Amino acid sequence: MKRSKPIAALASGAVLLAMAACGGGGGDDDNSDAGDFQSETPPVVKVPDAEGPAPAIDGSEEGGTITVMHPDPDDGPSSLDPTGMWSVTDNGIMQALVFRSLTTYRYNPETGGMELVPDLATDLGTPNEDFTEWKFTIKDDVKWEDGTPVTAEEVAFGLKRSMDSEQLPGPGAYYSTSFFLGGDKYGGPYKDGDDFPGITVDGQDITIKMSQPFSEMDFWGTFAAITPIKPGKASEPPAYGLDPLATGPYKVKSFTPNQEIVLERNENWDPNTDPARHQFVDEFVLKFDQNQETTDATMISNNEESKTWINTIVSGTKYQDYTSAVGDRVGVYPQTCSSFLAPDYKKIPEIDVRRAIAFAYDYENVWAAAGYIPGTTREMANSILPPGMLGQDPDMEPIPGETIEFNPDKAKEYLAKAGYEPGEFELRWVYDDTNQESKDAMEQAKRGYEEAGFKTKPFPYSGGSTYDVWTDPENPIHKKLNMQGTAWCQDWPSAATFIPPLFKTGEQYNTGNFSEKSVDDKIKEIPTLPIDEQADAWGELDKMINQEYYPDINVGNINNLQAYGESIGNYTYDTVQGYPNLRDVYVVQ
Amino acid sequence: MAGMMQESLASTSHDPEGPGDEPAKEIAGRSPMRIAFDRLRKDKVAIVCFVIVIFFILIAVFAGVIADFFGVSTESVRASERIDLRTGLPLEGPPNNGFDPDHPFGVAPKSGNDLLAYWLYGCRTSLIIASVATVTAAVVGVVLGLIAGYRGGTWDRLIQFVTDLFLTIPFLLAALALAPILSDRFGTDPELYTTVKFYSVIIILAVFGWMQMTRIIRGEVLSLREREFVLAAKVMGVPTRRILFKEILPNLVAPIVVWVSLGLPALIAAEAGLAFLGIGVSGRPSWGQTINTAVPYFEEYPLYLWEPVIGIVLIVVSLNLLGDAIRDALDPKARR
Repeated sequence: MKRSKPIAALASGAVLLAMAACGGGGGDDDNSDAGDFQSETPPVVKVPDAEGPAPAIDGSEEGGTITVMHPDPDDGPSSLDPTGMWSVTDNGIMQALVFRSLTTYRYNPETGGMELVPDLATDLGTPNEDFTEWKFTIKDDVKWEDGTPVTAEEVAFGLKRSMDSEQLPGPGAYYSTSFFLGGDKYGGPYKDGDDFPGITVDGQDITIKMSQPFSEMDFWGTFAAITPIKPGKASEPPAYGLDPLATGPYKVKSFTPNQEIVLERNENWDPNTDPARHQFVDEFVLKFDQNQETTDATMISNNEESKTWINTIVSGTKYQDYTSAVGDRVGVYPQTCSSFLAPDYKKIPEIDVRRAIAFAYDYENVWAAAGYIPGTTREMANSILPPGMLGQDPDMEPIPGETIEFNPDKAKEYLAKAGYEPGEFELRWVYDDTNQESKDAMEQAKRGYEEAGFKTKPFPYSGGSTYDVWTDPENPIHKKLNMQGTAWCQDWPSAATFIPPLFKTGEQYNTGNFSEKSVDDKIKEIPTLPIDEQADAWGELDKMINQEYYPDINVGNINNLQAYGESIGNYTYDTVQGYPNLRDVYVVQ
Repeated sequence: MAGMMQESLASTSHDPEGPGDEPAKEIAGRSPMRIAFDRLRKDKVAIVCFVIVIFFILIAVFAGVIADFFGVSTESVRASERIDLRTGLPLEGPPNNGFDPDHPFGVAPKSGNDLLAYWLYGCRTSLIIASVATVTAAVVGVVLGLIAGYRGGTWDRLIQFVTDLFLTIPFLLAALALAPILSDRFGTDPELYTTVKFYSVIIILAVFGWMQMTRIIRGEVLSLREREFVLAAKVMGVPTRRILFKEILPNLVAPIVVWVSLGLPALIAAEAGLAFLGIGVSGRPSWGQTINTAVPYFEEYPLYLWEPVIGIVLIVVSLNLLGDAIRDALDPKARR
């Protein structure tokens, strides 16, 4: 499995970079003020009978251009090949506007949450009793941007293409290959031919057989990686990534990798087939790797140009300026990601030492030094699962009988329990040496650890992202460390996209090499449970992992600061993607 | 010319007004260096600049003592003791409050580091790196220039080629490329890494700083080696080494001094530039790093940026003016 682009907000803080998966589960109304920000999110509601066109929006207007700014370090997609898309930004843009999939999300203005609705399929799919087989019926009136109809064969080809983990590493290389029957041995249509017994097409019907119970195929079906692909030379990687064929309301007008995407109206998109998307705006311009200071200053100036801008990353230091300049058009939005310290399970085998780290980490000071606003863009967390996810228990005590906070005396107690005198146990971790905020955050963390009785040895790294060190056991620095890290966002609001990648033996992002048979067994067992018991079972597993093993220290849930210009109409936030909801925005003329 | 005339008149003629009052002033030949120094002493700009330079040198040398005197240190503190974590700005002192006697220069936003301590030690870092790199570059440049100019032939062509080669390598590109290599090579030992980074900055600055020196020296030597005193020494069988060090080198002092006094500020600025780009020193304060962190705060907290900028501007301008003055003083043709 390949990691995709880091989530921008995290990269800038550089304490931890996020595995860029699809955000999810979080939610918040768009006028929220940082002061009384709540992470409570409306759960995703499934609406299997939703039909096009998407519900009308009061006061919506046609025309205009919206520019979405992505300040550095969000450098956007390097390829627009849908199969490879696995970052918040990529999916937030392309799923919402360009690529239609089996299912998709729709914004519900009443709850402020997202709904799971059919997209290319007529409903949310029909599973068999034990979720080992899913059947989707494809609508017969959906067209490509060139006017030809989208066929079930093309949808099936897209599904098969998602299993090509060599040429097109993306989410499919993780989900399709591990759940589709025979997916672990199939290398995609380019390598192993079009013949894949796990997927069969009969007229407009597609049947997917699973190798293990997969009750969340309808969620996986929303991904850009599940979009149809026309077989043939034109869609071969990597060239397809420069000019992919659209099925959604917008098509690619121009694309400069890591710099800019310009989307224009797709005249062959039929709103009557699409229950989720609108086509109000003439063009979307998506700019990446923009200068943070310039973007913030322009937004704050509220000049003519920035009135139709959306800024996806507002710098924490400018938050006060924003609130006085643009009022409630700046807000805190949940990213529903968590970041973890991952002590090496073999090098730090004592649970009391790992617990001591939790009390030695000076949460608020490290966050502030890293550029976050404590309590606003970073919040204390108790569980592995982010708040709002089904099964997450906000009252669970990860260390029985304790509230987690920076508490050097408590840390010393736990160290003593493990048999270590103050100053005896050495923590070794890596930090990004090219970034002042990261260095300041390291200094704060170091000071906290030392106050709590640890010896410290931080390792500077300037060769790129600290993920290079964390996820590569062969890296010489990795070998010297006894504490790695990771940050994670779920792909859809389900613990199944959260706990297994982080705590299953041998997973790449299980950077602390946590390995317990009882946990592995549970991870295997939960998907086979009746569907309404799974969420609670994941919650129980979360509790068990924390209370019995405490392998990772959750150092905070992450929220984003975003702002939009005066002329942006109906700005809403896609709580599942963790990205502005571009489906329903318009320009106030 | 005028200056020179006066000087020589004053030193060669007898005082016409008081003959016999006191023993006649000794008629002393004065070396060109002496003349230059006397001229320099009369140059007010040079004196002011010299005082400023000395001031910064004292700061660099006694950074620790001065920091102790003000009760500040570069130790990192718990940020929340000095910083409002919600805004990231200091609780006391600038920019929102008046002068804070505990931290005369204020504290850095977010981290709460004391800015005076960082400024003092940053000055030390800048001066050490720039002066060591300048001296190294000067030595390399002089040696290669001497060899090229005096030996000529193959040696000359070879050294000329190497000089041209180094001039074509973009300095910044090389520095940017070197940083990750060093990080990979020495990243497994944090203490060694800090030391390596420190010396690597010196080496990078020196490696890309000697070429002009070599060219200047080579040109001078080419003309000097045809002069009578060198030819005479050669004829008398004086060994080459002696000719180089005793006959030629003393005549090169002027261009070397000028080059060093102008090269030093350039390297101070270059070091700050490297630090600003994140490839400078690591694990110790430097002005360039402070500037890098202070830029985003310019609107809210301008003092944060002004402190290191004023430091750099003052010392660079002073050194440059001093260098100019030295050049003028040493140049017999300069108008004074």
